[in-house]
Amino acid sequence: MKEGPSPNGGLVVALDIGKSFAAVQALAPLSLTVHRGEKVALAGPSGSGKTTLLYLLAGIIQPDQGSVSIDGRRLSDLRPGGELAGLVSVMHQQFDLVPNLPVVHNVLAGRLGRWSLLRSILSLVWPQERQLAQDTLTQLGIGDKLQERTSRLSGGEQQRVALARLLVQASLIVLADEPVSSLDPARADDMLRLMTGLVESSGKSLVVSLHSPDLIRKYFSRVVGLREGLVQFDLPVEQMSDGVLERLYQLDDDNSRVAGVAVT
Amino acid sequence: MWRLLENRRLLSLLLGAAFVWSLVSVDWGGAFVHAGGIGTLQQFLLAAFPPELSPAFLRIGLNAAWQTTTFAVASLTIAVVIGLPSGVLASGQLIPRSRRGSSVALGARLLLAVIRSVHELVWAVIFVAAFGFSSLAAILAIAIPYGGILGRIYGERLADVPEEPLRALRASGASPITVLIYGRMPMALPDLLSYTFYRLECAIRAAAIMSFVGIRGLGFEIQLSLQELLFSQVWTLLMFLVALVVLVDIWSTRVRRSLAA
Repeated sequence: MKEGPSPNGGLVVALDIGKSFAAVQALAPLSLTVHRGEKVALAGPSGSGKTTLLYLLAGIIQPDQGSVSIDGRRLSDLRPGGELAGLVSVMHQQFDLVPNLPVVHNVLAGRLGRWSLLRSILSLVWPQERQLAQDTLTQLGIGDKLQERTSRLSGGEQQRVALARLLVQASLIVLADEPVSSLDPARADDMLRLMTGLVESSGKSLVVSLHSPDLIRKYFSRVVGLREGLVQFDLPVEQMSDGVLERLYQLDDDNSRVAGVAVT
Repeated sequence: MWRLLENRRLLSLLLGAAFVWSLVSVDWGGAFVHAGGIGTLQQFLLAAFPPELSPAFLRIGLNAAWQTTTFAVASLTIAVVIGLPSGVLASGQLIPRSRRGSSVALGARLLLAVIRSVHELVWAVIFVAAFGFSSLAAILAIAIPYGGILGRIYGERLADVPEEPLRALRASGASPITVLIYGRMPMALPDLLSYTFYRLECAIRAAAIMSFVGIRGLGFEIQLSLQELLFSQVWTLLMFLVALVVLVDIWSTRVRRSLAA
């Protein structure tokens, strides 16, 4: 694909990307277009290729074939660092914060891609763009934690700090790899409400892998089902029936037979 | 051959055999124990009850302890100045995944190995030959090998922090240097500090020993008192030495506690 306006006005365009690790095909070649403002849920059992797809979209790993472009720019042409950080940000399953830094520095770490080296070093003494960090944390309901040591925060608060870092990074697209898998139902709901709300208000796109049908229906506009590295369906969320998801997660016949034996 | 040496049972057998052999080859009769020393030892131990506690001598001891502390702190400060940058380079994390980066790391590691493999007393002999008996000789003699030791430990600790937060920093656009100061440094800091405090204790010991290159301090006073066989004074000075080490230990515990989560 040449540089230029992306087809169909897609913000993220993945063309025929595939990935294998050693002899195992993690993701069969697939194409995927995500539009501006779209909230895409990735569903599928463990090992179905969700994380691989997210990492490919984020430029963390390179596809064996095909290409990914965001806002008309091919990821393989970008150097890692500032430019890539402006296009795409990723939230991992763990919060991945630096535990013994104050919250303010963990939030402002999202700006490191935009700051000069001097400014980054200076910021450890006099936090730069402190107001931005303060406002973002206030938006997330933990405005009083700015100076707290990050390791002293609860799990839920730490996840908000990670989200704040993502927000100040201000990338065009936000990816999240099972961000709510370690949270209880109320906190998972709260987290997705914050994520989708903030993404909506700033006109970004969101791609999140998660399992809960209720949360997918409640917060997302589109759902992509993956299984064994293959796309099983790609539907507007209104057309997602219970049966479709059930089949996606169903154990193989072999597996269910084994499970049956184990039970009896 | 190397594989054979890694066999733990064989290694234990070899070491055990060496030990037994050493026992057999000692000449147990005659001059192995110098009997005349027992009297002196008795005299020395008895002098501890009580040690010399006259105000005049305590003032001398306090003054000497202060001098030893200043030498130790000065040496360790220079050691940190040597150790931190070279440790960062030796960790190989500043210029990752390039041929130039790994040769810089290798060079730094080699330099650190060279300067720490020579004992501070040997450095002292070298510097006395160069500068004469002076404070500078003593300070450098401690600072250089300690810099080598600190650099090695710093490098290890900086390389050995959890990878996930670093990955997240890189993903938000941080360069290797900012990953170092926003990720590796803060995560390794408690370890780095606690090891540096331990080295301060060692530096106090070493600074006391350095009296033989002509610096004042506890070692110098101990030498004087020993020459005049005033053992109760020696005990007082040793108490000052122990007190210094205990003080550093308390200080380091406080700092570590304030850093702990």
